[in-house]
Amino acid sequence: MSSSGAPSHKALSKIACKRLQKELVEWQMNPPTGFKHKVTDNLQRWIIEAIGAPGTLYANETYQLQVDFPEHYPMESPQVIFLPPAPLHPHIYSNGHICLDILYDSWSPAMTVSSICISILSMLSSSTEKQRPTDNDRYVKNCKNGRSPKETRWWFHDDKV
Amino acid sequence: MEESIGRARCEELAKSSSSFYRKVYSEIEEVGWESLRRLGGDLTFFSFHILDKKGRAHILELQLDRDYPKSPPSLSADVPCMFTLEWSTISRLKDVMHQFRKHLDSLQEFWSVLDDIDKSLCVVDAKQPSRASPIRRIRAGKDCNIIARINFDDPKSLPECRFIGPEPVAVNYLYMIWRRNSRKWSKEKSFPENLECVLGTELPKPLGLQVEDDHQQVECGICYAQFLPTDEELGARSGTRTDYSCENISCNKSFHSLCLTDWLRSITTTRQSFDVLFGNCPYCSDPVAVKINMNKID
Ligand SMILES: [Zn+2]
Ligand SMILES: [Zn+2]
Repeated sequence: MSSSGAPSHKALSKIACKRLQKELVEWQMNPPTGFKHKVTDNLQRWIIEAIGAPGTLYANETYQLQVDFPEHYPMESPQVIFLPPAPLHPHIYSNGHICLDILYDSWSPAMTVSSICISILSMLSSSTEKQRPTDNDRYVKNCKNGRSPKETRWWFHDDKV
Repeated sequence: MEESIGRARCEELAKSSSSFYRKVYSEIEEVGWESLRRLGGDLTFFSFHILDKKGRAHILELQLDRDYPKSPPSLSADVPCMFTLEWSTISRLKDVMHQFRKHLDSLQEFWSVLDDIDKSLCVVDAKQPSRASPIRRIRAGKDCNIIARINFDDPKSLPECRFIGPEPVAVNYLYMIWRRNSRKWSKEKSFPENLECVLGTELPKPLGLQVEDDHQQVECGICYAQFLPTDEELGARSGTRTDYSCENISCNKSFHSLCLTDWLRSITTTRQSFDVLFGNCPYCSDPVAVKINMNKID
C-alpha cells in the first residue's frame, strides 16, 4: 500500500509515546499563549486551537492546527497543517499546508509542539497582508491526492514576511 | 520456645536418645546449615533462608509436630499463596525445600511485576510491603491514589484497581478513564507502561527518583526520559541512563547516546568516520562526536 504521504498510521514507538506524554504534561502546566489543546485520548494526533494575537491582522480569529506525529518522533518532525479554513497568509496554502522551515529541513528534536506553535503564531503576527502564496493554485492542485506537506520539496520563501 | 540455638546445641540434642532430634538434625544437614536462620530450642520450630532465581531473599518457617514425619510440617512464608505440600512418611525437609523452591519459581513473574511498580511508580504504602502482598497503593497525581491488586496467578493481566482521593471529581474522572480504556491493557507491556497508557497520563515517579531529577538534569534532551524504555529492539540497552553530555558548558544537555546517534543518522549533514558520528548538538549546534557502539567507548 503506497499511501502517498497521508500521515503514517504506524503506532508511536515507546520512545515517541513517552516523550509525547511528557510534552503534553508540560503543555498542560504551561500552555503557549494563544493556543488550546483539545483534549482527546489520541496521543498521536493533537488538535490545537490557535487564536490570532491582539493587534495583528489575525486578532481574534480562531484557527485549528492538526499535528500528526510519526512513529519515530522526535527523530522526525510532526506533520502540522491548518484545518480548513486556513488563515490567509503568504506562507499558508489554502489546503492548510504551511511553508515554515522548522517543520521540514530545520526540524530538530530540541523543538517541541509548543515551540512550533509559537513559531507559527509569530509567522502570522508578522504578516502585513492577508493573501495566499503566489503559487497557491498550482501547489494545491499538486497535492490533490492527499500528499503530505512533508513530501513537498520546499524552497523557503523569503524570511521577511 | 523460639530462642535461637546454634548448630552445636543441635548436635548435642541429636546425640541424645531421641530419634526425633537425630532425624531433624540430619535433615537440616541435608538442606545445609548455611540456610538455617532461626531454630527453636526443642527443634520443633525453625526457618530456612532461600534466594529465588532473581536473588530475592525469602524465609520459610517450619513448625514440626512431635510425631514428625508422620504429620507433615506446617509452613509459612512471605508468599501471596501457599503451595499444597506433597507429603508421605518417607518425605524429608529437603523435599519441602524442593517444593518451596518450585513454588518460588512459579511466582517470579508476580514479583517482577511488583518490583517494576516499586521501581517506576510512586508507591505510598506505609513501609516496604511484604512479598506476600499483591496490593500496591500508587500515587496517580495529587488528588488520587490507585489501590491495585495484582493477580498472582496471572500477574500480567489487568489488575483490580480502586481509586481513592479527597476530590470526588478527580477520582471519578480517573475511574471513568480507567473503565473506558482498560481494554488497552496489554500483556506485552510492563505494568507502569500499561497503567500510564490506560490512564493516558504520566504518573508520578518514585520520590527517590524525583529528588535525583531535581539535583541533576539527567533527562535526555531527545526522548525526555531518564531511562531508555524496556524494549526488545533495544536489547541490553533497555533501561539505561543518559550517557552523553554536550561539551559546550553553557549547553551541557544530556542525551542517551542511542537517541543522539538515531537523530544524527536521520539528518544528511552528519559525517561518519570509522565508528564515530560527527554532527551538531540539537540544542546549541556545537559539534558533537558520538561513538556508534557505546560498549566500545573507553
Ligand atoms: Zn534519550
Ligand atoms: Zn549542546
